[in-house]
Amino acid sequence: MISIAGVSKNFSADDRSVAALRSVHLEVNRGEFFVLLGPSGSGKTTLLRAVAGLEKPDQGEISLDGKVVYSRSQGLCAPPEERQVGMVFQSYAIWPHLTVAENIGLVLTHGRLRLSRKAAAERIRYSLSLVQLQDFETRPARLLSGGQQQRVALARALAINPALVLMDEPLSNLDARLREEVRTNIKKLAVQIGMTVLYVTHDQIEAMVLADRIAVMAHGEILQVGRPAELYRRPASALVAEFFGSINWIRGMVHGNNRIETELGPLWIADSRHCYGAVIVGVRPEDVHLRSSNEGENRIEGKVRTSVFLGDQIVSEIDVQGKILIAKGSPDDGEPSDTVFVYLPRDRLVVFSDRVPSNSLE
Amino acid sequence: MAVAISAAALLPVLGLLLLVLWMGFWQNGPGEPIVYTTSHYRKIFTDAFTYKTFLNTLGFATTAVLVALFFAIPLAWLVERTNLTGKSFILAIVTLGALLPTFFTAMGWVFLLHPRIGIVNRFLMDSFGLTQAPLNVASIVGMGWVEGLGLSSIAFVMIVATYRSMDPSLEEAARVHGLGILRTLVYVTLPLTFPGILAAFIYVFTIALSAFEVPAIIGMSNKIFTFATFIFYKIQPLEELPSYGVAGAVSTILIVLALLLSWSYFRLLRFSHRYAVVTGKAYRPQPIELGSKGRILAWSFLGFYFTVAKLLPLLLLVWAALLRYFQPPSWAALAQVSMNNFYGLPWKLLLQGAWNTVILMLAVPTLTLFICLAISWTVLRSGVRFRVLFDAVAFLPHAVPHLILAIATMFAALFLLRNVVPLYGSLMILVFVYTISRISFATRIINNSLAQIHPELEEAAFVGGLKLLQVMWKILIPLLKPALVYAWIWMALLCYRELTMASVLVTSQANVTLPMIVWGLWLGGSLNQAAAANLVVLICMLPVVLLYFVFGRRSRIAEGA
Repeated sequence: MISIAGVSKNFSADDRSVAALRSVHLEVNRGEFFVLLGPSGSGKTTLLRAVAGLEKPDQGEISLDGKVVYSRSQGLCAPPEERQVGMVFQSYAIWPHLTVAENIGLVLTHGRLRLSRKAAAERIRYSLSLVQLQDFETRPARLLSGGQQQRVALARALAINPALVLMDEPLSNLDARLREEVRTNIKKLAVQIGMTVLYVTHDQIEAMVLADRIAVMAHGEILQVGRPAELYRRPASALVAEFFGSINWIRGMVHGNNRIETELGPLWIADSRHCYGAVIVGVRPEDVHLRSSNEGENRIEGKVRTSVFLGDQIVSEIDVQGKILIAKGSPDDGEPSDTVFVYLPRDRLVVFSDRVPSNSLE
Repeated sequence: MAVAISAAALLPVLGLLLLVLWMGFWQNGPGEPIVYTTSHYRKIFTDAFTYKTFLNTLGFATTAVLVALFFAIPLAWLVERTNLTGKSFILAIVTLGALLPTFFTAMGWVFLLHPRIGIVNRFLMDSFGLTQAPLNVASIVGMGWVEGLGLSSIAFVMIVATYRSMDPSLEEAARVHGLGILRTLVYVTLPLTFPGILAAFIYVFTIALSAFEVPAIIGMSNKIFTFATFIFYKIQPLEELPSYGVAGAVSTILIVLALLLSWSYFRLLRFSHRYAVVTGKAYRPQPIELGSKGRILAWSFLGFYFTVAKLLPLLLLVWAALLRYFQPPSWAALAQVSMNNFYGLPWKLLLQGAWNTVILMLAVPTLTLFICLAISWTVLRSGVRFRVLFDAVAFLPHAVPHLILAIATMFAALFLLRNVVPLYGSLMILVFVYTISRISFATRIINNSLAQIHPELEEAAFVGGLKLLQVMWKILIPLLKPALVYAWIWMALLCYRELTMASVLVTSQANVTLPMIVWGLWLGGSLNQAAAANLVVLICMLPVVLLYFVFGRRSRIAEGA
């Protein structure tokens, strides 16, 4: 559906050039809900705007539905109005001088479709019904709440029945409770009408809830593409691992087959074929298990510093030879005793060459 | 204390307005026992001459606004929405154009289009054997054209601000969903910027309504009056005695008109702000790419604008300054070119004028900023009751024509305070009225800046044990510095070119200013010497303009006007 090949884009700001996109390659399939995830400044919005035709790349090629819309080598850059996409903007971009119905109607009667007023009225009703705003047709748009504007923006994007819908952080201006509700609705709607969506966000929870596949971006590059569980369990780099939630890092050296000599003692990992020399071992807090005996592999003695009960989980700070590991356990396991044995299952450890990536994403 | 300073500065504003109102009901001149009458008002509404003046003023202001917007709207669009090269330079130059003294362009255009001496007219008459001048600058439309050229900078700055405050994704949403450039312009951009453009229309119209310099330079000697020159004429007539009563009555009407217009301006502004959406991202939209045809069109337009607004008047003044009698360029005329006009200038007077002007440029911005800091603090921070009232009064000097402020000040100095303080004919009186007239501008700039500073920054200092003055000096002034520097330099430049208020209050060598010397030569009929003096004045202004470029421009240009 979307095919992006070698797309680069530089911005010049304050007399210096900043690379917003560095030779990005990406394929999005028909009917897929695809999320671009990354911190601010990672280039995700620039990539989305390049697909929409709102930003002209410096290099590469973009095709939509098999049709080339941008190609540096062919000197081609189709204007946005010829790309037949729907788009939801971060600020919603609801035209304040028009009513709800006119906001959608303008696109239908004066956009690519050039529908008659009558046909447009039909479509307006239908697309408003998709977002449960049937009774708002005559309401002036500037009198809508943020959530309602967001839904009108969605209805407007869907009204032209586009093959592709682009969404640029559509939930970031909503309050937390509303965000969850709208998130679910967007997902349902996407499944219901089988649309292809390219969706930009900086919130990894949002990405995991919505996405069929996610591309993690940083510094204008795509770090990894994959299904949410894949990215969480098998991150391709420490950067990606950190971006998907908190993680404990342990330094070490590879010593023979699947064995790593770490600052906390020897640890066994599932597969050491791809790493050598100095490494860091990552383990998520929920994979740090607390045991009362040292029977079995990957068990290290530690002292419980603090232990906080959060209802559905207990979060503990364990002092292991002067290093603090965070552990998340089930309340059913009971309050941990003072001295415990930390168990790190070998299939839950991720290993990268040594570079502690703390805050490196920001 | 801040409240006391604000009150002390704002009370005279109210006092001056009441004085004008009072003046309008005087039967006889001051000095005699006061007799009240309403005859001036009756006369204004029945007299054919005042009626004609009213129509003149209306026609003049309308023409001026249309001319200003004709240039400002396309210029603003080119600068804000296209990929034209050198945009930021164009933005700076057009903005700076607001400082070019209006009497300067006015004189230039007289040499171009005067029915008798204007070179365009002479050329057309000679070429086509016409007996009458085809174009006449000494007409309502002619004066409106010149005034409009002068006001185009302010209109430009305002419309640029309108474009900037508009969420660019509103236009992008139209493009993405299938509307082309033209349809986007028609259905989205224009309707959304319309309130802003209408607000600029009213704002510029209000200025033009009471504009003095162009009608004074071009119209007065040809007996074409607008309200401003009419009032001036009643105060300083050539033959009869001054009639303050009539001036007061006309001024009152003008003030009421100006206040009504300003009120509708603010209503509109609020309306247009409803359209301004604050976006999460501070990105600039991808500019529209001009093709080669578009670029040629854009540069032709820019070239035309700079030629008529700046270049032609400048060339004509240079040409006039080099000649003893003004005549169209020819070989014979070229033989007469000399620097004699410059040698013959009243240099001693010019030096005195320069000295006075420098004092004004240093004193007025400093005093104004001092007062306006107090006012802004009172309005935004003090929590005093009636603080909104302070804000409203601080706005009055903007709405009330500056000519009228000057007349009221003169009236007060001449008849009320004569035995208290000898203000009349002194430089102090200019410092006073210039300062009063800039209060609105400076308050607005400081208000905007102060609103961006979180009150907790000051509160932290108070909690830390600093006193109000220390907080001002150590916290607020450093934080406000960019805005203060910008406002100071801009006001200094406005002081330099100020003619309207000076024309009423400069009565002796003691308080003569540079623009007044130029104007004096012009009124006295030595047009060529006036041109020479004008060039000298303009050249002396350049160093300060440079200062503005280096220090002032960093803060937001869009706040100007």
